This record gives sequence, C-alpha cells and structure tokens, in this order.
Amino acid sequence: MGNRVKFAAGKLCEFLLTALLVSFFTFAAFSIIPGDAARVMLGTTATEEQVEHLRTELGLNEPLAQRYVSWLTSAMRGDFGKSLAFSEPVSELISSRLPVTLGMSLIALIIVIVVSFPFAAVCSRRPGKFTDRALSAAGHILFAIPPFALSMMLIILFTRVFGIVAVGQYARPSDDFGKFLSCLILPAFCIALPKIAMTFKFLRASMIEYSASDFARTSKSHGLTDFMILIKHIIPNSAVSSITVISLVLSDIMGGSLIVEQVFNLPGLGRLLLAAISRRDFPLLSGIVFYLALMTVVLYFMSDMIAALIDPRIRDRRTS
Amino acid sequence: MRYKGNILEVTGLNLSISNGSGVPARILKDLSFNIRSGEILGLIGNSGSGKTITSLTIAGLLSEVATVDSGEILLDGEDLLKKTPQERRRLLGEKIGIIFQDPSSALDPLQTVGSNLNEVLSIRSDVVNKEERRERILNMLKTVGFDDPDEIYGRYPHRLSGGQRQRVLIAGAALMNPALLIADEPTSSLDTVTAMSIMQLLHEMCQEMGISILFISHNLDAVHDFCDRVVVMKEGTVIDSDTSWDIMGQPKSSYTAELLTNSRLDTRTLGIKPGFASEDAETVLTVSGLSASYGKGRILRKRTPPIISGIDMEIKEGECVGLIGSSGCGKTTLVKTLLGLIPASSGTVSSSRKLAAVFQDPVSSLNPAHSIRWHLKEALRCSGKPLRKEEELPAFKKVLNDVGLDEIHLSRFPHQLSGGQRQKVSIAMCLIAEPSVIIADEPFSALDSSSQASIIKTLSDINHERGTAMLIVTHNLRVVRAMCSKLIVMDSGRIVESGLTETILNDPKTEATRALIEADLYGV
Repeated sequence: MGNRVKFAAGKLCEFLLTALLVSFFTFAAFSIIPGDAARVMLGTTATEEQVEHLRTELGLNEPLAQRYVSWLTSAMRGDFGKSLAFSEPVSELISSRLPVTLGMSLIALIIVIVVSFPFAAVCSRRPGKFTDRALSAAGHILFAIPPFALSMMLIILFTRVFGIVAVGQYARPSDDFGKFLSCLILPAFCIALPKIAMTFKFLRASMIEYSASDFARTSKSHGLTDFMILIKHIIPNSAVSSITVISLVLSDIMGGSLIVEQVFNLPGLGRLLLAAISRRDFPLLSGIVFYLALMTVVLYFMSDMIAALIDPRIRDRRTS
Repeated sequence: MRYKGNILEVTGLNLSISNGSGVPARILKDLSFNIRSGEILGLIGNSGSGKTITSLTIAGLLSEVATVDSGEILLDGEDLLKKTPQERRRLLGEKIGIIFQDPSSALDPLQTVGSNLNEVLSIRSDVVNKEERRERILNMLKTVGFDDPDEIYGRYPHRLSGGQRQRVLIAGAALMNPALLIADEPTSSLDTVTAMSIMQLLHEMCQEMGISILFISHNLDAVHDFCDRVVVMKEGTVIDSDTSWDIMGQPKSSYTAELLTNSRLDTRTLGIKPGFASEDAETVLTVSGLSASYGKGRILRKRTPPIISGIDMEIKEGECVGLIGSSGCGKTTLVKTLLGLIPASSGTVSSSRKLAAVFQDPVSSLNPAHSIRWHLKEALRCSGKPLRKEEELPAFKKVLNDVGLDEIHLSRFPHQLSGGQRQKVSIAMCLIAEPSVIIADEPFSALDSSSQASIIKTLSDINHERGTAMLIVTHNLRVVRAMCSKLIVMDSGRIVESGLTETILNDPKTEATRALIEADLYGV
C-alpha cells in the first residue's frame, strides 16, 4: 500500500510541475506574438491614446514575469479575465461550452473502446484468416477518411436516408439531458471511427503477441479454455499496453471535436476558439488554449494512474 | 515409489507439420516409449530431434499446423488421441502437469502468485470448493520450498527470482496432484545452484507424491543424476533407451556417444585446450578499482548500493579467463561496465584496443531485417577501420571461415540460421573489429550441447590461432576447465577468488566457489 501512495504522490508532483510549465508556455506564446496586442485588437483607426489606455488596462506595460505571476494567480482562482469580444468572463464562456466538447469526447472514447476491444479480440484469435483481413481492411478505410468528410456523409445518410437523428439541433444539458446526449452521439461517432481503426490495429497486434506469451501457455497447461485466457490474461495485459495509445487517441479526439463541432453546428470549445481567433480576443484565446493544454496534461496524469493501478510493475519501477 | 505398470505408453507415433505448401514434413517417426509409474524418464537429443514436439503432443498443446498421422498415446490405459479437445483440456493440470523452459515470463505479471495459481483450482470448482483453494495453494507453496507461503501468495511475479518463479510454476503444475509431470528443460535458464535445487525438488515430488516425470533436457549429466531411465531421440525417433546408468556408461549408438562427448566437453576428442598467455605477452586489458551501480530517480539521483565494487583484474594477450559466480553476483553488470554500456561510478578500464562482446541470446542479438553481410559491414563500420570495397569480401570470407561458416552465409538472414550459427555470426562480427579482448557473456547457455561444443571449439581456436584474449562468463565449469587458463570467481559484486583455473577448482578457498563446484558436480 505504501508503494501506491508513494507512486501517486510522485506522479502528482510531476503533474503539477507539468501543469505549471504548460501555463507558462501558453502565457509566453501569447506574449511573444509579434506586434502590439492592444494595437492589433483596436485596429488601425484607434488613436495612440486609446491604445495606451488598453495597454494599461491589459497590464501590457509591466514586465513579462510580473504579468505571468498575476495572470497565474488569478487563473488559479478560475479568473482568466474578460473576453473582449463577448464582454463576459472567459471562465464562464469556457464552462458553458465545455460540456459539449467534453461530452462528445467521452462518448467518442467509449465508442472507441467498446468497438475496438471485441473486434481486436476476434481478429487476434485467428490472425491472417478471412475475418481478420476483412476487419483490418475496413479499419484501414475508416482510418483514411477525415472526420469532417465522414461527418458530412453521415449527416446526409442519417437525415436524408433514415431521417432519424435531428442534426444541427442542440439542447442544453440543464434543459434536456437526454436530448443533449442524443445530439452528441452522431458527431462523437464521426470522431471515433478513424480512431477505432487506430486503437483496433494496436490492440490486435498486442493481443496476438500476448496470445503467444509464456503466461498464456502456462494458463493453457493449467487447463483454461482460450476464452478464459483471453478474458483473464490477454485483455488485461493488452489494456495496460494500450493505455498510452488510448490517451493519445483521446487527445486526438478532443482535437477532432473542434472541427466536427463546426459541421454539426454545436456550441463547443472549438467554435469558441474559432470565434476568439477571428476576433483577436486574446484573453479568451489564451484561456481556451490553456484549458485544452491542461486537459491533455490531466489526461496523461490519469492514464499513468490507471496504468499503475492495473500493473504492479509500474508502481514498483518508480518507488524501488 | 508406486510401481503399477506404465503410466504413459506412446506407441508408433507419427506426426507431421505442414508449412502451407508442399509435402508436410515428418517430425516424429514411429516413436515409441513408455514411462513407468513413479519414475523419472529422461528424454534427450539435440535441438530439432523432436523432444518438445513429443511433450506437446502428449499434453495436447500442439498448434494447428501439426497433425498426428498414426499411433496411440495411452495415459493410465486411456488413449489420449481418441479424446475430444474438451476432454484433453480437462486432463491438463489435472492428470498432466507441465513446466517449461523459461520461467521469466510464464506468470501473468498483473496478477499475484496466488491468483495465478488459483485459476487451476477455480476452473475445477466441482472438485475443489472455494474455501479449500487458498489452503491448498498455501500447502503446495510450502511443498515446493517457500518458508512463508502467505507472503509469496500475495506477491507479484516480478518480485520473484527466476528460481522462485519456476517453483511457483511447479506448484501450479502439481496442484491437482497429476499422474504425469512434463518438465521441458526446466533448469536451462537458471544458474547452477538454483537449477540443482529445482532438480532436487522435482526428485522429491516424484518420491513423495508419486508423480511420474518426463524430464526433457540436453544436459546429460542432469539426466544421469536424476533420471531412472533415459530415452535418446534423433530426428523424431528413439535410437537408444536404457537405464540412465547404462546409457551413460556404455552408449549403444554412436549418436549417443557423440552427445556424451559434446556434453562432457571431451577436450581430447574435440581438440580444445586452455589459452595461456606467453611469457612476454603484453597486457591488453587492465581494470582497477571498478565499481558500478544503477542510478535511480530523475531529479534527485538516489544513491543505490553498488552492484559491483572494487574490481581489479588484468588480461594478457592470448589468455583465456573464465568468470564464474551464481546469478545476481554482478557478472553481467561487470561485462556491461567493461563495455561502457553502464557508466562506472569509480575505477578505470583501460585496454590496448577495442573490446568486443558476444551475448547470451543469439536470437535477439541480430537484426532480423538484414542479411549477415549487412551485419558484418555494420561491425566493420563501427570498428572505425573501414576497408576499401574490394577488401571487404576477402575480409568477410576470412572471418566467416575462422568461425566455421561459409561464404554462402553472407546472403542469409538470421532466421535462416540455427542458434549455433547465429552465435557464430556474433563472433564473426567481433573478429572483424580485431578486438584486443572478446568478452563472451554466457554465449553457450541457449544452445544444445552439440552447438555448445562447436562454439567452444570456435572460440578456443580463435584464442589460439589469433592470440585474441577472451573473458568467458559462464556457469558451466566444464567450459572453464576446457578453455580457461585463469579463473575469476565473483560473489555479491566482488571478486572473491582469482588465479589459475586448476588451483581454484581443485582447492577452493571460499564458500561461494565451493557452492558452485558442488552444484556442478550434480551436473545441472
């Protein structure tokens, strides 16, 4: 038990350090953009006085380090300043859009896992046979289709051909949670499909490897059926080795959701990000970028913790 | 001992393996032998003689490409080949237990020892009820020699040594008290002292639990000491079978005699002699006060106790030095430090020319994607002595010739070579760099006795003809006697004894050396 606590503490320190670095780089990136931020925001028609006023208001006249510290301290309270374009606090804007992006990513992740594990298990049973080849080929095709193209194809398919899902409609989770979820499923599916191919390919390879492992052979010599070996040994071991891939997939999914939101007309972070870019809304932009970066760091932290929870060797490697 | 006739009878077994196209290759040809109740039967033969296939056929673990053409396998009078796959699976673990060669990854790393073993019982819930299981596993862990079974029960496999893992696996195979235990080279990846204790354990289980054992090995001495009878296999058929005493004393076939010569490293027949340095030989490798440890921790580098410390040694031109010690004594760490693969924490290594190394595993030492020519070129490039294009081929031919390979092997790929041939390629890669010392870290242990003898002969010839000094890391004292003039004994990271091989082996001064010699006497 001591090991687990030690491991978690070590990882937490690592996580905090990374988060701090991420915050610094995000902040620095927006500070070194060439040109005067205030001038860029106000446009060419603004007077020198107006620019100077905005500079003081934004704190641009102070040294970088001081600006970073004051930005960080307010960021830790959840205060990223006020959006210039929307005249609303950045944190409120983000938190109102977050459920869409996060919900969509989570649904996509669940689809990826639920689909790729059983398919990989089926293929790894008889590699090279018809089922395996057919599924692998299907995976390759899916992998090659970009999410936005897939989105449009699916929209046409579902609305015109089946007429099932009302596309382009959106309900807030607080109003109608069921409807909120249902309008996320199709976009989530679009993001998930190419990622299924990727996860599936990786899982298939690792399951084939573990099927030929010495411990699978031991279990066989103990009299276990192939199915029991799959459930008891092969799937848990492949799960550990696929955690890294799955966390990569999830950060890909979040990136993919930014585009798919556009196609499905959903009010997520992606649309907010685009709005912030097109209106040169720097406080909002840095807030969103920091949020996305932080989520990726959280994701890796969580995947490390899950891996350590399943695999005793990872806990020991760190603490012994 | 319980002697009630034969527990296993194999009669007229024919088996072939199809490789997709063409005529299936016949692997077992009219194989017949039997195992009596309560005896240990040794099954010996070179790699490829069909020993492992035989054991897998008995267990019913063959892959789909293999088909049994004819014959019968009677276990306790019942023909296994007539049973359905379900019935055969049921027999596994219940009537037939198996342990394999390499215990290092034979337990699921994500599960504790207890839960790894529990699966044997949990699938037989009709025989063993849930409450009994833990009790039964703990008892078995005690039987296989763990003093604190409760603690081992909750341990994860990566916290066990190789010998402990093999014990756990034996416990798993014996949990249901099977009639037959198949042990497929159970000790070949363990050091001599551990291997001996495993052999003794198997012997006890045979005596006390009445389990008959099919012991597969290419180590003839182990077979001699532990088996009641021996069956010699060659190319899928039995060519000799007798009590182990008679087989070893008066082999009936020339093949068995040859196996014995190779296994015992009969130096006169093979023409191997120890490599001595001439009187005016210069020192090619000097090591003084060498220590090394594995640093841990990223930011704050924690101090870990040194794996090796205060190592002093000297190797002269033409000298062949043996390095022995039980597992975990720091032999491999020393080799890695000498080669610069691990930074030394203190001390110095100085050599007149480059050092070159041959490692244990011939399979993963070569790049499967490239031909032997590429490997030699790579070695040449790294040696820092590039040759002109027209000089390359003669140089390659010469080194291949020196290691007993041919020009035709240049275009071969690693998977087209046998284990012994691959190891020879590794030696050739060393030679092309013209090193001052060749360091060989257990280069024979993954090979069967015939290939072992051939590699030893190759190294010994290079030692004598080229005058290349050698440092041979091994746990086989026969090898040491045959080719090393000097011997270094390590224990717990230090050199505890060094000097002339004869002197040390005839008059060991330390407990560590004595233990190694004793284990070697049992021939495991």
